[in-house]
Amino acid sequence: MTKVKMVRNVLEKNDKLAEQIREMGDNSKTVLFNMMGTPGAGKTTLLESIIPALKEDYKMGVVEGDVATANDADRIAALDVATAQVNTDRFGGTCHLGSEMVKPALEKINYDQLDIVIIENIGNLICPAHFDIGAHYNIAVVSITEGVDKPAKYPLMFRNSKLAILNKIDLLEHLNIDIEEMVAGIKQINPDIDILKMSALQPNDGIALNKWIKKRGRRK
Amino acid sequence: MHELTIAQNIISIIEDELQQRNKLACQVNKVYFNTGRLNAVVPESLQYNFNQIKKERKFTQNAELIIKEIPITIKCEDCQAETQIDEPVFKCQNCSSRQIKVIAGKKMYIESMDIE
Repeated sequence: MTKVKMVRNVLEKNDKLAEQIREMGDNSKTVLFNMMGTPGAGKTTLLESIIPALKEDYKMGVVEGDVATANDADRIAALDVATAQVNTDRFGGTCHLGSEMVKPALEKINYDQLDIVIIENIGNLICPAHFDIGAHYNIAVVSITEGVDKPAKYPLMFRNSKLAILNKIDLLEHLNIDIEEMVAGIKQINPDIDILKMSALQPNDGIALNKWIKKRGRRK
Repeated sequence: MHELTIAQNIISIIEDELQQRNKLACQVNKVYFNTGRLNAVVPESLQYNFNQIKKERKFTQNAELIIKEIPITIKCEDCQAETQIDEPVFKCQNCSSRQIKVIAGKKMYIESMDIE
């Protein structure tokens, strides 16, 4: 018997490609956002609410990740922004986007001509947090109807994100929950994270999110 | 579900290591895999996925995957203490400060394998 020593990162292929993607973004001055969150948290609706104002100021594109269907990409493309759909069923139906799926999608929308690209990940609070896809900023979206202890149950997602969006805040009056408990739960995991309480359906609520993105976006 | 991707990656890294050594005809007996608790890998699920796909390659058909979980260790930037946390509350176990850095428990890697 022979012992073979190696110490090799199991995600090395993904992580290397993610690093390349980030560099591609740096070189073309394109800022990449990875929007993750639960299925039904309202990620696509959030995008629909902020894109009309964002695209006034930036050349922007969207990559839509789903296991199947092009429904979300169709909704975003209707807003007249460069959109690419990634369906992971062609990659074995995986529950997260990997760098190897994101890179061709970015190339398809000519990311290097754009200022901002938002990548909407597969709805899932677990797996996407593990896979670096080369974004400059991770954003986690949950809705307040999911329960105030959701962040504590899925810590890596909130640990790895710069912004947490608590969506559907307009439903608060119908729910028997303490929203500040949810905020405290997130801060326990990541004290540096920004938190936005908002509703994607209230036009004015998108302003704070737009500001957050604009602070990080660059115009060519 | 990301356990399937991890199992696939483990097997392709094994293949790569054997290929580099010109040992693709060998049998892998044991694979030593370490994963930080922060990765939330479910050992039973990874084991199951690995056992399902290991038969696809001759060199891993009898391989046993040995999974070691590495606890999350944090270092406090205030009192400098290095402590371990068991739940996702990222504060120093010594002085309760939240100014901490995770210094272990993030990585996942193959450490070694036994072949013959």
